[in-house]
Amino acid sequence: MSRVEGARKAIEIVKLNKWFGQFHVLKDIDLTVREREIYVICGPSGSGKSTLIRCINQLEHHQEGDILVDGVLVEKGGKNQETIRRTTGMVFQQFNLFPHLTVLENCTLTPTLGLGMPRAEAEELAMFHLKRVGIEDQALKYPLQLSGGQQQRVAIARSLCTRPKIMLFDEPTSALDPEMIKEVLDVMVELADSGMTMICVTHEMGFARQVADKILFMDQGEIVESGPPGEFFLNPRYDRTEQFLSHIL
Amino acid sequence: MALVFESKPDRPPPRDETGLAVWVRRNLFRDVPNALMTLLGFYIAYVVVAAVLDWAIFNAVWEADTRRECLDAVGRSGACWPGVVEWLPNLVYGLYPKDAVWRINLGFLALVLWLIPLWMPRVKSKVAVGLTAVTLYPFLASYFFLGGDKGIVWSALISLGLSGLVWVWATTISERVTGQSIAELLGKTLAGGDNDVLQRRAVRGAGLVLFLAAYGLVSTWSLAEVRTQFWGGLFLTLVISGIGITFSLPAGILLALGRRSNLPVIAVLSTLFIELFRSVPLITILFMFNTMLPLFMPEGMEVNQLARAIVAVCLFAAAYMAEVIRGGLQAIPKGQYEAAASLGLGYWQTTTQVVLPQALKIMIPTIVGNFIGLFKDTTLVSIIGLFDLMNMARAVGEDTDWLGLFIEPFFVVSLTYFVFCFAMSSYSIRLEEKLSAGRER
Repeated sequence: MSRVEGARKAIEIVKLNKWFGQFHVLKDIDLTVREREIYVICGPSGSGKSTLIRCINQLEHHQEGDILVDGVLVEKGGKNQETIRRTTGMVFQQFNLFPHLTVLENCTLTPTLGLGMPRAEAEELAMFHLKRVGIEDQALKYPLQLSGGQQQRVAIARSLCTRPKIMLFDEPTSALDPEMIKEVLDVMVELADSGMTMICVTHEMGFARQVADKILFMDQGEIVESGPPGEFFLNPRYDRTEQFLSHIL
Repeated sequence: MALVFESKPDRPPPRDETGLAVWVRRNLFRDVPNALMTLLGFYIAYVVVAAVLDWAIFNAVWEADTRRECLDAVGRSGACWPGVVEWLPNLVYGLYPKDAVWRINLGFLALVLWLIPLWMPRVKSKVAVGLTAVTLYPFLASYFFLGGDKGIVWSALISLGLSGLVWVWATTISERVTGQSIAELLGKTLAGGDNDVLQRRAVRGAGLVLFLAAYGLVSTWSLAEVRTQFWGGLFLTLVISGIGITFSLPAGILLALGRRSNLPVIAVLSTLFIELFRSVPLITILFMFNTMLPLFMPEGMEVNQLARAIVAVCLFAAAYMAEVIRGGLQAIPKGQYEAAASLGLGYWQTTTQVVLPQALKIMIPTIVGNFIGLFKDTTLVSIIGLFDLMNMARAVGEDTDWLGLFIEPFFVVSLTYFVFCFAMSSYSIRLEEKLSAGRER
């Protein structure tokens, strides 16, 4: 039985379909993520895994199907996208920190500007999260003065400063050197342990084994199979999954 | 057991061969062709500089009443400066009445005063100072320059300008001395305590008192009108290019954003405007505004010639600036927009806080390049009969006393343009260095 049996649905996706021009990138996706659950999505490039999580916070607009985030229906064409984006946080492969602002300013921008928080309070919040990701002593530096791993941790802190209920990770460690991957994964594990709902697109299978409630394998726009890590790694049902796992394990 | 890895101690880099002699040998006399090129370069520089110095200083005539006297004294081998000196007031102020020239000086002094805080350390309200310089200073300056009757509205605007200047210096001094802006300081001293509402009320009250005092002062003096026909010389050049520059940047930003807008009507209109004004030479636009615009105006309504020229220059400059800004906007990676969006920032928040600061910084060299181009392009207004610096310089040689005296005034005008453009260019380089200091690895 799942450790979150009976918890509220954080994300519910029903019959999601999306096209890029003529290209059918997501096909009939059904997915339910409950609060405090950790999902890991893997799959070959072009399988639609990034597009799927980008649909959740409406960086991509879908054409068919329903997405509910924290019980709110995502309207097509992005009409309520700002509400949706306030409940979700996203971490990108390329960090996407704002290079003209200091680490601290990166973190306080949205709380002060978007949520109308007084500066002192926003800075306190930012320092709290920077401390959490272990980077409080770099708060006054500019992003480009930090290493990749540090930048990604700042990006996580920046996202947490908007107090999201759900965190989306889009290949957060793919652009990092091996020694830096660990420091980012450690932060993600800590976040998972603290009860955050997370969907991570990643190929870090060690991480998946350690914290994931479920692993999804996607190929050609479909969820081929999903299951808890033990089952998923030991007895994949499809040959396609087996083949993929043999490449990355 | 594993061995403990210990890195080697750091060693200072090998000493560079330094010293002037080494540098000269390496860079100027490395081998025979290199040495020959160096000598040739020095020779050319020497010939040019010597010729100019001979003409402009050593052979020049400094005292004469007419050009004839100059020619009799040194012929064409030396410059004839008395003509330029005699015309200097006109080159600077145009035909502005001599007894009113102080108004121009005072107007520009006000501008300098307004801008000085931008260079001063520990001044925090630089953005507000810059904004007031653009929005409030023009009212003050235009009254100094233009004068004439002022109604209630006009007086109020001038008073706003005056209060703006007072505020700029009050807050500058306050921030340098106490580290707080004048508003914070006043709020705390007048209202006391931490009551935000009372403090805001106190600041507003102080602002009102300042404005009323300024209004009282403004209504006690009046300046005689100096019509724009008498404006000219460097003064006119600075007015036209100053307005053009201050207008072109915000207008260019809006046009560039409009062109990239998702709203088709705005995008099409912006694109049309930009392409229309970019594909027509400035001269043509000046002619059109000068000769054709009055035809479309209702009977009896007349827009003065200077205003028409300024409008033409502004629109032309805005179209060019829009394309520069658009270039900067396109250089911002998509990830920046996505990060801002994922944080829940809206369009204007993303644009003003994330995208524009980066885009403008990238484009500083090009933006300032455009400003310099615009400054020099204003010489074209001489075509429609305005006596800017360039046209005024030509007028020297048409004076009967100084008939044919063209090279000397043009030489002075060139130097003037060089000084202004070089200052702008140096400032932009300084700004770039300052903005990138410490932000990159």
